[in-house]
Amino acid sequence: MATPQTSAQVPVTVLTGYLGAGKTTLLNRILSEQHGKKYAVIVNEFGELGVDNDLVVNADEEVFEMNNGCICCTVRGDLIRIIEGLMKRKDKFDGILVETTGLADPGPVAQTFFTDEDVKARTRLDAIVTVIDAKHFFGQLEQGAEAEQQVAFADVILLNKTDLVSADELAKVEDRIRGINRYARIFHTQNSQIALDAILDKGAFDLGRILEFEPDFLHSGHDHHHEDEVRSLSITADRPVDPDKFQKWMGALLQIKGGDIFRSKGILAIDGAPRRYVYQGVHMMMDSDWGTPWKDGEKRSSKLVFIGRSLDGDNLQRGFDDCLK
Amino acid sequence: MKIDLANPAWQQTLPPARSLATDAPVAACAFNRDGTTVAFALGDGCIRLLPADVKAAAPDAAVPLHKGVVLSIVGDPAGDGFVSGGDDGRVLRIAADGTATELLAQKGKWFEHLVAHKTGAVAASAGKSMFLLRDGEVREFGPHPSTVAGLDFSKDGSRVACAHYGGITVWSLSKDVTLPPRRFAWQGSHVALRWSTDGKFIATGTQENDIHVWRVAQATDMRMQGYPAKVKSLSWTADARYLYTSSQPVFTAWPFAGKGPEGKPPLQFGDEGAGLMTVVAAHPSAEFVAGGYDSGELQLGDIRTRRSVVLKMADGAAITCLAWSPDGFKLAVGNDRGDLLTIDLRR
Repeated sequence: MATPQTSAQVPVTVLTGYLGAGKTTLLNRILSEQHGKKYAVIVNEFGELGVDNDLVVNADEEVFEMNNGCICCTVRGDLIRIIEGLMKRKDKFDGILVETTGLADPGPVAQTFFTDEDVKARTRLDAIVTVIDAKHFFGQLEQGAEAEQQVAFADVILLNKTDLVSADELAKVEDRIRGINRYARIFHTQNSQIALDAILDKGAFDLGRILEFEPDFLHSGHDHHHEDEVRSLSITADRPVDPDKFQKWMGALLQIKGGDIFRSKGILAIDGAPRRYVYQGVHMMMDSDWGTPWKDGEKRSSKLVFIGRSLDGDNLQRGFDDCLK
Repeated sequence: MKIDLANPAWQQTLPPARSLATDAPVAACAFNRDGTTVAFALGDGCIRLLPADVKAAAPDAAVPLHKGVVLSIVGDPAGDGFVSGGDDGRVLRIAADGTATELLAQKGKWFEHLVAHKTGAVAASAGKSMFLLRDGEVREFGPHPSTVAGLDFSKDGSRVACAHYGGITVWSLSKDVTLPPRRFAWQGSHVALRWSTDGKFIATGTQENDIHVWRVAQATDMRMQGYPAKVKSLSWTADARYLYTSSQPVFTAWPFAGKGPEGKPPLQFGDEGAGLMTVVAAHPSAEFVAGGYDSGELQLGDIRTRRSVVLKMADGAAITCLAWSPDGFKLAVGNDRGDLLTIDLRR
């Protein structure tokens, strides 16, 4: 048996994906595999899971707006309550898995972990895992914004049911996914079959591990974009950053564009600072800290990553350039 | 009740107490109706029943009655035992000898909140519904706009108020006339609720670290801000002159006598430095108040003299629940490490 976590924050993995993509199969797999770990599972449909587990909790996806004047600040009230309740248990567990409904926007789930102090004290958001049905993905993109949002928010993507499409179709789906989010790790799966360490304990929201999430540079995806399309981009700079200017620019950017920016992260070479400055955010919410020190002679460059709708890369680069020394 | 906190004995020695260590967090505690037994609801499904007399021997450990966490417990207003709610979706009646009978079951739901009224009624909430248990019958009220996060009876027991997202809902419980519920709206999520002991006010704590209070008859409301954390514990004094709130470093009481608290600061007293208050419980009849901290410290305060004394030293385990015995001489205390404490204030 692994040692259960006692005082440390419990990692939370959020599982999103369209109806029928394979989330329940994946959950059943996680719960039934002999990994010696104990997971609490928060599901939206009670009874769908085949595994008998007294740590399965039914949630109602109660999304509400915070009454703090920030319109895009929505959180999951049920999650706050359930996490508080789970912490009253004598039997501790190694992680929490949150399954969202097929049409859920992952934003409120993620923002809950930025907003609620009690939740922050006891848990940490580990990663957003999105399961995609390779055969029906294009159809789902047509049906609404959800499928696109779920890809945009993802840290890990299970491109599932690959046995139901041809190699050519699969390549097209993957290309489209990369067009939305080139920073997520993609795994090809059948029946949601995946090594658990590929999806659990990823530390995707860990400021200390931001460097590990580098884009897939081998990708040669098309760069033709519609204006309201969701996509990801990065901007860089080699000159040091003026922290005051950056704060002003980023603050204003999130104020105006926060609703359209799903995820953002960055590593900054602040003028005169011996350490990297790292941040990451969901919509308007942001966490930041000093990261590892720059080594002697190391090239000090900054890099910002955005995933969102209607992003204007040139405009962002110009705004960032104005923050440089 | 005659207790003088100026007596130097309070500073020198702690009052007589019984402390039992278990290994499951304590979610709630309560005394039974006649004050002879105290019950602790634990995170392993057990309910530990102990004699209220701190010198009496403690019986052997209890067996689990709920599967999972016992989330709530109150003294049974219609018997000698208790009524409990669990995350196994069950409400149980626990007799004084520890035997349990099921009163209500809702698969997949958590019975997080229970309140009792001296008329014999118990109200329980699970998910978006409130259930009234009275005279052997169960009636369901709801659904509310979101999960009920707090509830309380009116002074006379004729109504129940439920807190949820977007405000509170007040239900009339009369069987003879069906009245539509009254909705008091205030944007945001309300996470705790207490009806004032004179029936005139309903107070809630909100997700945004505020207090919201409604005047029930006039349907007017007020908001108190400035807390560093969510206020999950609210307690009205027996005379309804003050509302105590948690989430401050000292006892914090809003004055409701006369014209009410508008434009006035709250009364604050007690020793700072013990951390943030997690639970507060006004005495059932006198001017005293007990406050438990996230550091584990427990203080007893007297609002007339603004004095306070330490009843339990900080030990790192946050206090999760407090309950006064009906006669106000004993105090039950639970923490998140599993210590079950009963204190006798008659020294």
